[in-house]
Amino acid sequence: MFWIGFLIINALNIQAFDTPNDDGSSITITWPADTILKAMGITRSLNSSGDFEKIADATSRDSIFQDATVQRGIDYYYRLKWNDPEGERFSNVAGPVRAQVQFLNFFRLQNIGLLIAILFAVIIFYINHARTGKKLTIRRIPGLTAVEDAIGRATEMGKPVLYVPGIMDIDDPQTIAAMSILARVAEKTAEYGTTLFVPTCHAMAMTMAQQVVKEAAIKVGRPDWYNIDNIRYLTDDQFGYVSAVDGIMIRDHPATNFYLGSFYAESLILAETGHSTGAIQIAGTAMSDQLPFFVAACDYTLLGEELYAASAYLSQEPVQLGSLKGQDLGKILFITLILFGVITRLLGWNFFYNLFSVQQ
Amino acid sequence: MKILDKLAVLDRRIIYLFVGLAVIIPMLIPLGLPVDITRPVKNVYDKIESLPEGSIVLMSTDYDPGSEAELYPATEAVIEHCFRRNLRIYMMGLWPAGSALGERALDTLGRIHNKTYGIDYINVGYRPGGAVMLLSLGRNFRDVIRVDYTGRPIDSLELGHQVHSARDITMVMTLSAGDPGVIHWVQYFHARFGTPICAATTAIMAPRQYPYMNSGQLVGLLGGLKGAAEYETLVNRRGRGLTGMDSQSIVHVLLVLFIILGNVILIYQKRKKSAVGAA
Amino acid sequence: MKRTIPQIIVFACGFFMLTAFFIPVRFVQDMSQMLQNWYIGVAAFFVFIGIINLIKINLEKIQRKVRDWQYSYILLGFLFFMMFAGFVLRGHTEGPVFKYMFAYFYTPCSATMFSLLAFFVASASFRAFRAKTPEATLLLIAAVIVMIGRIPVGYGIWHGFPSLVEWIMTVPNTAANRGIIFGINLGLISMALRVLLGIERSYMGGGD
Repeated sequence: MFWIGFLIINALNIQAFDTPNDDGSSITITWPADTILKAMGITRSLNSSGDFEKIADATSRDSIFQDATVQRGIDYYYRLKWNDPEGERFSNVAGPVRAQVQFLNFFRLQNIGLLIAILFAVIIFYINHARTGKKLTIRRIPGLTAVEDAIGRATEMGKPVLYVPGIMDIDDPQTIAAMSILARVAEKTAEYGTTLFVPTCHAMAMTMAQQVVKEAAIKVGRPDWYNIDNIRYLTDDQFGYVSAVDGIMIRDHPATNFYLGSFYAESLILAETGHSTGAIQIAGTAMSDQLPFFVAACDYTLLGEELYAASAYLSQEPVQLGSLKGQDLGKILFITLILFGVITRLLGWNFFYNLFSVQQ
Repeated sequence: MKILDKLAVLDRRIIYLFVGLAVIIPMLIPLGLPVDITRPVKNVYDKIESLPEGSIVLMSTDYDPGSEAELYPATEAVIEHCFRRNLRIYMMGLWPAGSALGERALDTLGRIHNKTYGIDYINVGYRPGGAVMLLSLGRNFRDVIRVDYTGRPIDSLELGHQVHSARDITMVMTLSAGDPGVIHWVQYFHARFGTPICAATTAIMAPRQYPYMNSGQLVGLLGGLKGAAEYETLVNRRGRGLTGMDSQSIVHVLLVLFIILGNVILIYQKRKKSAVGAA
Repeated sequence: MKRTIPQIIVFACGFFMLTAFFIPVRFVQDMSQMLQNWYIGVAAFFVFIGIINLIKINLEKIQRKVRDWQYSYILLGFLFFMMFAGFVLRGHTEGPVFKYMFAYFYTPCSATMFSLLAFFVASASFRAFRAKTPEATLLLIAAVIVMIGRIPVGYGIWHGFPSLVEWIMTVPNTAANRGIIFGINLGLISMALRVLLGIERSYMGGGD
């Protein structure tokens, strides 16, 4: 047992190197994990021969440590120490090593960067392609085709339209998508003279919605239709908001409800209350947890990416539709990469998998 | 059949009444149904069991009163387990209201297990900032945390003084009802610092966490009230999780019966329509 | 000009944040962090705007005596009292009044609204889980298996139920979730590019 321990201790070979793809603020130390050793101290010095100062503790389950207290341009030396029945032990001294700035994160560039660049190139290609005037075919999305009919229904019944743009603020892309669709819905409701309620969960979203609806009214030549009090902030609290929106539904009986944006647990509460009032409901969210509730309770549901595509779809502008085509090609690319990754892993080739491994 | 014609237009309030009774009656007359243990929950239990005494567990109460019914039983069960194993708890929260709920559990169980605030457990309260805050926290706790929940300087408390960075934390237990929550802990804290993450989430969120468990980024998961009930069984604690499982069981059976009834009505209506059409 | 300047800001900030992801230099990361902090600061300031809007609308309701104007008194009363309890009364947010109202007003009300889901799930299930198409039938069967398998009764009926449920959750459910998430993120990238390049401008108001 002593000889095994002796061999293991002497085999503890640590390495130190500049942390790759960082801003020159850390040095990484690695060593083989050892289940026999229990607790270790990581020590550092400015020269190889002495004055090693403890900078951190490590345990036997660790095999890597990042020293983020270094200064750029200074050489450091590292050594591990631990105690065993024989006394204090040390590993080899690793160094000199110096932290340096990397101006580009090549790891991220080689995988994420490359994929985003390809995706952008494909989308831009199709946008330019659309500018040449070629007609692009986009499959029918029932939820979006039904928007105009749903607003028409509310107009005929003399009842308002309710538009709920989600419960997140404008830093959420789903809220931006919801506001883009709100512009189209507002144009139609202004044109028909139908009342439009837009209760919001955040004040910034309220401000944005007010601007969007006002501009929509001006665009269709109905500035008099715009009523700022119909676009209101209710509360930031999730369930306070949903109870207030439920109150609007029960009291004002909108004939058409739109739920477009980011939703959490309140999605079913909204949808069921709306159903109980007899409203036609069109929902859309990219929250995959909430999609089943909307599918079960609403007449039409935009699934995930259809929410982001909605604005382009409703505008029917060739340039915007071109971006949808590019997105679809990107999807084919990802499917191909996934299949390639699965096959290479099954064959035991890890080069492709390693390209996408998580790195600090 | 006239009864099926009537059931086809069943007032939803009748359904609500049945659900209400299905929830209340088992609470008054407990059934004591046994709960099977699933792998994700066992993983959390085994992880905590494997921690040496004195290890520091960071518990993050990332939920609000709306999710209290599902996540508070899990909070209590995990704290109980940690205190029994003589682990130390460093509590914080990414949601403002979660800290008050966590404080209540810590206080109650701390008294029962004779634990001392500041030595065996500490609560630093709500920390805003989400992902960015987590990155700063892992590098240096002092960048984010200077005082505890009551305003006392963190270094004046023994446990607070000992925690400087992610390396001092043995495990993170996040009780999460949405964003920011478990995904942030996995994507930022675990990915950056390697700290093992266990989670308790609402039942709705649980399916979304399975990819992280499959990839090993999440050690284990307590999903919804069932997860809390399983954990209470493992730690031999009769809490609100196990009590609630009786009601949940009856409600699930009731839902299945309603679904079957709905499909019987559908078949009946189809047959009636084709009979009328043939006539 | 009214839309050109915002578009320039959107492009500049969006492009900067995108490239900052690939540049680890401290200065760039600090700038990126500063932009995010600016957003947080602006968002915090907007809370006041929201409260002012809320007060304005409810005061108008009271003044004009529109339908249900009495509830506006209750809303404003609680709003001001809670602010008073939090800012003025002893201990600020740790004060007994604020804590009492949080524990015995806000918490039960929130929990109650969340509890409505139990009832609504029942009525939605009764209405929606009908075997009208093969896909709907598959959904129905999976839902019944998961609902029964997740409770002790399911384990009592057949010991294999929990394992079957776990398989459904970890294999088909995870696969479908991942597919949906991929699609969502691709859609997000496409929309983000449209916003960055100024092709999508309707969120700013005024259409295209």
